[in-house]
Amino acid sequence: MKKRILFLFAIFCGLSCLAQTKLDSIQNLDEVVLNDSKLIENGKGFKITVLNDSVLSKNNTSFTNLLRFNSNIYFKENGFGMVSSPSFRGTNASQTAVIWNGISINSQLNGQTDFNTINTNNINKVVIRNGGGSVQYGSGAIGGSIHLDNTLSFSSHLKNDVKLNYGSFDSKNVSLVTDYGSDKFAFNVGVNYIESDNDYKYLGLDQVNENGAFNNLSFSVNLGYFISDNDVIKLYHQSYLSDREFSGTTVTPSNSKYEDKNSRSMLEWFRTASAYKSSFKVAYLNEHFEYYQNKDSEFFSFGKVNTLVLKHSLDFNLSKTLSVKSILDYNYFQGEGSSFGEPNRNAFSATGLLQYNPNSKLNIGLNIRQDVTSNFKSPLLFSIDGVYGFSKYYKLKINASKNYRVPTFNDLYWQPGGNLDLVPESSYQIDLGHVLNYKAFQFNLNTYYISTEDLIQWQPGASGIWSPENIAKSQSYGVEAGLNITKTFNKQEFIFSSNYSYTVSKNDETNKQLIYVPFHKANASIAYSFKRFSMFYQHMFNGEVFTTADNLKGSFYSLESYDVANLGFNYKLIKTTKNQLDLGVNINNLFNEIYQNVAFRPMPNRNFNIQLHYKF
Amino acid sequence: MKKIIYSVLTLALLVTSCSNDDDLATPSEPLGAYEDGIIVSSEGGPSSISYVSNDFSTSENQVYFNVNGENLGVYLQSVGFHEDKAYIVVDAGTISVVNRYTFENLGTISTGLSLPRYIAFNGDTAYVSDWADPNNATDDYIAVVDLNSNTVTASIAVSEGPEQVLVNSNKLYVSHKGGYNTNNVVTVVNTEDNTTETITVDSKPDEMAINNDGDLIVLSGGNESWTGNETQASITKIDVSNNSIISSLAFETGLHPGLMSYNNGVAYYIVNNEVFGLTDDATTLPATPLFSVSAAYAYGLSIKDNNLFVTDASFTENSTLLVYDILTGAETNSFSVGIGASKIYFN
Repeated sequence: MKKRILFLFAIFCGLSCLAQTKLDSIQNLDEVVLNDSKLIENGKGFKITVLNDSVLSKNNTSFTNLLRFNSNIYFKENGFGMVSSPSFRGTNASQTAVIWNGISINSQLNGQTDFNTINTNNINKVVIRNGGGSVQYGSGAIGGSIHLDNTLSFSSHLKNDVKLNYGSFDSKNVSLVTDYGSDKFAFNVGVNYIESDNDYKYLGLDQVNENGAFNNLSFSVNLGYFISDNDVIKLYHQSYLSDREFSGTTVTPSNSKYEDKNSRSMLEWFRTASAYKSSFKVAYLNEHFEYYQNKDSEFFSFGKVNTLVLKHSLDFNLSKTLSVKSILDYNYFQGEGSSFGEPNRNAFSATGLLQYNPNSKLNIGLNIRQDVTSNFKSPLLFSIDGVYGFSKYYKLKINASKNYRVPTFNDLYWQPGGNLDLVPESSYQIDLGHVLNYKAFQFNLNTYYISTEDLIQWQPGASGIWSPENIAKSQSYGVEAGLNITKTFNKQEFIFSSNYSYTVSKNDETNKQLIYVPFHKANASIAYSFKRFSMFYQHMFNGEVFTTADNLKGSFYSLESYDVANLGFNYKLIKTTKNQLDLGVNINNLFNEIYQNVAFRPMPNRNFNIQLHYKF
Repeated sequence: MKKIIYSVLTLALLVTSCSNDDDLATPSEPLGAYEDGIIVSSEGGPSSISYVSNDFSTSENQVYFNVNGENLGVYLQSVGFHEDKAYIVVDAGTISVVNRYTFENLGTISTGLSLPRYIAFNGDTAYVSDWADPNNATDDYIAVVDLNSNTVTASIAVSEGPEQVLVNSNKLYVSHKGGYNTNNVVTVVNTEDNTTETITVDSKPDEMAINNDGDLIVLSGGNESWTGNETQASITKIDVSNNSIISSLAFETGLHPGLMSYNNGVAYYIVNNEVFGLTDDATTLPATPLFSVSAAYAYGLSIKDNNLFVTDASFTENSTLLVYDILTGAETNSFSVGIGASKIYFN
């Protein structure tokens, strides 16, 4: 009860901060900033949330937690630091696309991205795009997509950023980023090492999180060079090495571990001319895992996929109000694994995008895409979106799209059971959004409907062998609402932000809510700063979820709802134009809430984290 | 209102005292709530035990949790019953010892076990098949358990993937389905000195029984086509006096039965949801089924008297226990049981 009161108090505080001026993170455009811009230009009728540098750098817990507390995305996490799967709008993790600098990085093996293997240390911007985006972003962008962008800034600068973090459970996090730019050349390089014993107490039980230690090392470098006034060559690279023990459950111990070895490299030639822009990308992605059921044993199973991507896009302005864009994308996937031999696959897609922008109030996009893939036939995809600004305070957004998810390597080739007769899952979606901006208030409300068919599900066959089939149909509909308020006076700044979602996602045949989809999820945070001091409080409510398909309630069939809150303080020890040193302290799970977001896998008790952040 | 309650109470007292007075032959004390019933074990997760009374009038899920306030680990592989105890084998490496009638936990055996599968008993000794590291084909063993101290006292090395275990006249028979691989032997352990012999049968031997003639019968499922080396399934009859094969009845290529239960002269097995009955004296497999079952995924099979029990397993929600009358083939009852219901026992 106390917690609820505090939560309401936090909301009240937020609401009562009436606004006079508006602080916004409008990017400074007097310098050339390069990043993946297709997102904003083609899809103005979609809901987009941007988490910029400052939000990312304040986060001293996992990326999963950052999104959990700052977006509508719901996460299933197998205990802290373990496999973490996102879900948008009642869809599942393989219906959520993760896009790194414009290309999809979802695993070809299981179609998902484990968010605890994403490192945002040297990522400049995270964009959350709710709703279907398969036309632009390909397979898996059904519920939504999450974009990790690197920005290269061609202005004379040299910035260094060092972060040292120490916390409960012997958690350490060391991060270094250097960012350099001149008129012609820009680069940034980042290194990050994280480790934790992660042996938190299971509240209410006489147990700790055994076999849950993890460490990971990530390295990234991005550079760009203007070879002429109109041509820039860019190189992006990210590599990630992770070694995780996989913790057991409250009832079953584990002695397993999992190693990830992922790397991504991309070379881009970007050309701008008065009437057109062209981009040619060559990317090489490598994903590789090793799973040791017994970490002390030499035996392990593995899977790896190498992906070659060739992608060309051309933007052409037909007139002042009409622009077209074409994208040609070729992917070659080569897999190898303990359970599926050495299959390979080709995929080619052609996409056409049309933007009509007759005046400053109206923008309409019309997009179409066809894939040609070895093994199966893909549907023709489309997306239509529009935005209309009725006044400077109110904008209406609308979009409709057809999206898909292709079968994964596991679905197609797993022995036994892999099914070469699968077709892609296909999905229709319609989404209506309202955006209200009034002074310091920003309010958004989206309602959507998604119908998905040919859902791929593994099930036992007559001979007892499990095999995937295109069998299920589902429908999701719901509401997403967000309120943000920013207010400053007397050098004090208050920022309030909140999200709420109501989600119904049900199996068409049984009419039952899908497992692990909460009807209600909400979060709210309030940040306050004054001179050198700042603090925040963030709170999340996650509604009850069913863990079995029959929608029964009880300890074998459902997980109770929970409230989790974090509190943080920060003080600038040094604050000059050239040097800044911040000392931060965070208290996570402030109220020591007992909760699980996957059955039998408790989440951490109250824990502390201290951070030194030096910028020079 | 109060009056009515009082009168009902009085009446109830009268009835109870009357019935007590009338008891001439005192029935034996009930041994526990789960006596005289059918026990279904479910792999989960979460693993669970379900109970259905013999007269089908009552049933209960999550028996172990309800009694002990704790869960069994994943995945519950099998249960063994011996004297007044039940031994719940969980492949995470534990055996929970419970009172078979009350399901109260009496202790746990975990030291000396890695990935246990099945348990069999001979006097004060139990034998547990164990895959050890399932990725390692050469570390499999039979754990020998002293039932007085509930400790593993010895381990007998055997070949890959020991599955079901059966004790008959101081011999332990182990079918080697092969674990993560395939195997095609039955190991015979002499329980007096733990020496072993092997009998080669068709690939993936699994369910076993001793028939009314005293012979060992073994169902081998054969390699499925995906292995690239498909072999035929068979039911093999073995002379236990000299471990020689009396007969081996092969199934048509492409059929891979996994469930067999023996009862009073007939080995019942299921192929693609059709129930067949192989009599002890048959020289060929029956051509026509007795009846068919309606399971989406027939995952467990047991026979008692004239009832055939099948679990229709679901791994995303509760499973169903289906009851058929063997004589008519009619489905007579069904019960909701745990997630991944796999084995049916009679208590």
